[in-house]
Amino acid sequence: MSLKTDDRKFDARTAAGIEDAFMRGAVGSAQDSLKTRRLTAATALGDWEQWRELGQQIRQHTLENLDYYLGQMADNVERRGGHVFFARTKEEASAYIRDVVQSKNARKVVKSKSMVTEEIEMNHVLMEAGCEVIESDLGEYILQEDDWDPPSHIVAPALHKNRKQIRDVFASKLSYAGDETPEHLARFARDILREKFLEAEIGITGCNFAVANLGAINLVTNEGNGDLTAALPKTHIAVMGMERIVPTLEEMEVLDNLLCRSAVGQKLTSYITVMGPREPGEVDGPEEFHLVVVDNGRSEILASEFHEALQCIRCGACLNVCPVYRHIGGHAYGSIYPGPIGAVITPLLGGYDDYKELPYASSLCGACTDVCPVKIPLHEQLVMHRQNIVSQGRTGVADRVQMKAAGKLLSSPGMFRGTLRVAYSMTRLLSRHGRIVRGPGPIEGWIGIRDMPQPVKKQDGFRSWYEKRERVDRSEVSSMTAADIRKKAPSAHGDFNAAVLPEAGPGRDTSVEEAASPIGKEGRRP
Amino acid sequence: MSRTESENRTADTSNRNSFLNRVAESLGRPRRTDDVTRPDWKHTVHLDTLADSAPEQLVEVLKEQCFFIHTQVIESTPELLQATLDDLIRSYGGGPIIRSGDRRFSRYGLSFPNDFAWSAEAAREENIRQAEAANVAIVFADHALAESGTVVLESRPDQGRALHFLPAHYIAVIERDRIVPRSTQAMAELNRRYENGETLGSCLNLISGPSNSADIEMQLVVGVHGPLKATYVLI
Amino acid sequence: MKVSIFSTCLVDLMFPGVGKDMVEVLERLGCETDFPASQVCCGQPTYNSGYLEESKQAMINMMNAFEHSDYVVGPSGSCVAMFHEYPHIFKGDPDWEMKAIALKEKSFEFTQFIVRVLGITDVGARLEGSATYHRSCHMTRLLGEAETPFMLLEKVDGLQLEPLKNADNCCGFGGTFSVKMPEISEQMVDEKSACVADTGAEYLISADMGCLMNIGGRMSRTGKEIQVMHIAEVLNRIPAEPERRGALEGGAFA
Repeated sequence: MSLKTDDRKFDARTAAGIEDAFMRGAVGSAQDSLKTRRLTAATALGDWEQWRELGQQIRQHTLENLDYYLGQMADNVERRGGHVFFARTKEEASAYIRDVVQSKNARKVVKSKSMVTEEIEMNHVLMEAGCEVIESDLGEYILQEDDWDPPSHIVAPALHKNRKQIRDVFASKLSYAGDETPEHLARFARDILREKFLEAEIGITGCNFAVANLGAINLVTNEGNGDLTAALPKTHIAVMGMERIVPTLEEMEVLDNLLCRSAVGQKLTSYITVMGPREPGEVDGPEEFHLVVVDNGRSEILASEFHEALQCIRCGACLNVCPVYRHIGGHAYGSIYPGPIGAVITPLLGGYDDYKELPYASSLCGACTDVCPVKIPLHEQLVMHRQNIVSQGRTGVADRVQMKAAGKLLSSPGMFRGTLRVAYSMTRLLSRHGRIVRGPGPIEGWIGIRDMPQPVKKQDGFRSWYEKRERVDRSEVSSMTAADIRKKAPSAHGDFNAAVLPEAGPGRDTSVEEAASPIGKEGRRP
Repeated sequence: MSRTESENRTADTSNRNSFLNRVAESLGRPRRTDDVTRPDWKHTVHLDTLADSAPEQLVEVLKEQCFFIHTQVIESTPELLQATLDDLIRSYGGGPIIRSGDRRFSRYGLSFPNDFAWSAEAAREENIRQAEAANVAIVFADHALAESGTVVLESRPDQGRALHFLPAHYIAVIERDRIVPRSTQAMAELNRRYENGETLGSCLNLISGPSNSADIEMQLVVGVHGPLKATYVLI
Repeated sequence: MKVSIFSTCLVDLMFPGVGKDMVEVLERLGCETDFPASQVCCGQPTYNSGYLEESKQAMINMMNAFEHSDYVVGPSGSCVAMFHEYPHIFKGDPDWEMKAIALKEKSFEFTQFIVRVLGITDVGARLEGSATYHRSCHMTRLLGEAETPFMLLEKVDGLQLEPLKNADNCCGFGGTFSVKMPEISEQMVDEKSACVADTGAEYLISADMGCLMNIGGRMSRTGKEIQVMHIAEVLNRIPAEPERRGALEGGAFA
């Protein structure tokens, strides 16, 4: 797997997502239950906003001093007998790992879930070198057995699959004969993977946070596979994105609390482990420990206006609240990093050539920004991407023409007044029964699926009404009742309900009894 | 990998320096190699949460949380501990039993038939084989965290890593005076010891109940790679 | 209290009744209003599409238009939230940063102004029936105002509020998103429409015409009947004279 998970165009990926009814049901119900669980866990902490600010401050302090903390961490890992390799590119990272594996003449590699190892295409490189690589996270193992189906969520990689599909994968690939009960499927995988842990020569894990002063890494899991991966094989290789570091155990503790609650609504996951090279006298744990620190585009992000994206602790909370992710699923993003954070970092890591649509796959509702435990301004960063895409001339000609015209119109009171004057007559030929039924460009995108009221005549517009009533003796106003005001005002009330009702519109009175008129009764487009 | 030790070291230094120089460059300033201190954090919520709870309240918090993490809690006493553990082992279907080499086993006068105590005296493979074969693991917690229902354990020659993960059932004995409000206190204590020059074990485990997964349709399955069931015994 | 009306371009183009109702409610509550005629649009459509320079001209026009206002009140949480972004957009700009801050400080969404500035929650309105309320994302999250519409609606005589499932999910409007990504937007608005229809309410109320145009337009297209109302329209539904006087004597406007 690489950053890119799909060669199809964005529209084709999205359409495939929208058509996948099971996936959408699964994502929807996962979002709904995780929302409640996350909220309960966050509320239980008391002042969640203060926790977020604390998390943000810790992440920002660490990033501002990243060279210092990485240096300190490397000193401490080496002092304890481990090795640290700094990889500028994904090629350097996976080549180093391959070299370590080959230097051990190893063939059997067991892994725990790690997004950065996907990013550096490590599995591919190791398999090319003749190794068996086993993903031990249950979700990742299912995907691996399904011919390396890409993950669709950064915490729950197989979220898009149902139990029947999983049963079928196990049956056809592993001769599983049981039913589709999740317990049975999980127990079956446990038995197979237990053997793999015990025979593996190399264990490869990711790293939630490196602890700089200790020279150790922190893993946060529920299944226990990360611990077995690190404890049993004689060589442990941990791979980390260079930004995933904290000064001490004290800051790690804060971030782990934010991570567990935001990711899965747990206070702490079942296994939170801090591990480093084996100390003298200890029996198990790795005899050789390697930590690979990966840049692969991160230093460019650090130098850019997107540097806050590096605060990410990969909790996936932004995916779990995103209404767009909800309907298109993870695969539509075409990246191992889906959802809002994926739409921010994928174009940074993979470039606009392949990913310029992602920043637009958001209604900018801000749910991601609101939920982020380390306060990354995700939706603002999506707008920043759009600004870059525009300034690099990557938007279509039509879009540029329309937006530049809109820019002119929206900044010119005179032009806007002119538009209000002609809007009704200009749209008359496009409208029927007070509703626009066809139109160019953006209007087409709207009316393809929704009704749209026709603009009102200038004399029926708000501005004309306000202007005319200005001429009413203003001293009367305070003593007038609303009914009086209404009598003096022109009775135009071309609101949405009125506009879609042929018999309503100008001339309609707005008495209480009448209330708003129902829409959808008449004049509906076929 | 046929380079000599000194070549390796030079290569490592230049590998690190060029990387970290680039990071400094990205940050738009000269490289920082010392004089970085942690700022005063703007909030103390992590320190304040549950901080003023009395010990008996913490026990209640712990018990309540254990319900949510599918972990049985049994309240016992030092005198009854042997009997409690014997009952528990029986309910888990008996041995084989593996335990840590913690001195508290002898302090409380505990003994189990045919148990295996994790030990540096035995080979790595033998310890792992015993853990894999064990039906029940028994350990003593260094700390317990009330809020999250967690036991904290440090690796030592007599307490390995695989001990916590390979056996099917997991029993952690918690002495009540080792219960702290939350992870904050435990991590601060470990960090304090480390900064004072103590060597910590290579592995610090925070374990909250049995292993689990929600990878299949987000439905919780308790018992995946690690233990299938967990019990805490309070004394 | 002097209030400058920020009508918003959707109200100017298509929904005059909303603007009119807002003005009438504010005046009934004792405000003096004016309408700075050089106002156009907050600039959000182009800004959210990534056209920064084009948007800045629209924003500057708005800062000029409202330069002398004491309060600026608009019937859209989203458009007012855009005003609140100006200081961020003009940060470091010697000519406009201070003016951007000034506009932010004095701008309020309509319901927010009534509750937070005027200190009123009962405006004496009456609307018989059941309603559900759609909270707009921009008003709730960007402007940070989640309560005032509910505080006002709770006091509307005769109105029964039905809870909306997944109320915090976006309706799929998102300005230009709705036309640039219509396939995704359609899924979002369909789910929202279904949740609205499930409430069985007679009215769908919101404080943002963008969302209402989206949900209402989709429900209209798909044959789901509901009466769409901007909250200003609800709050301007005052009972006939005798009844209303009763409300007044009851201290509604004290």
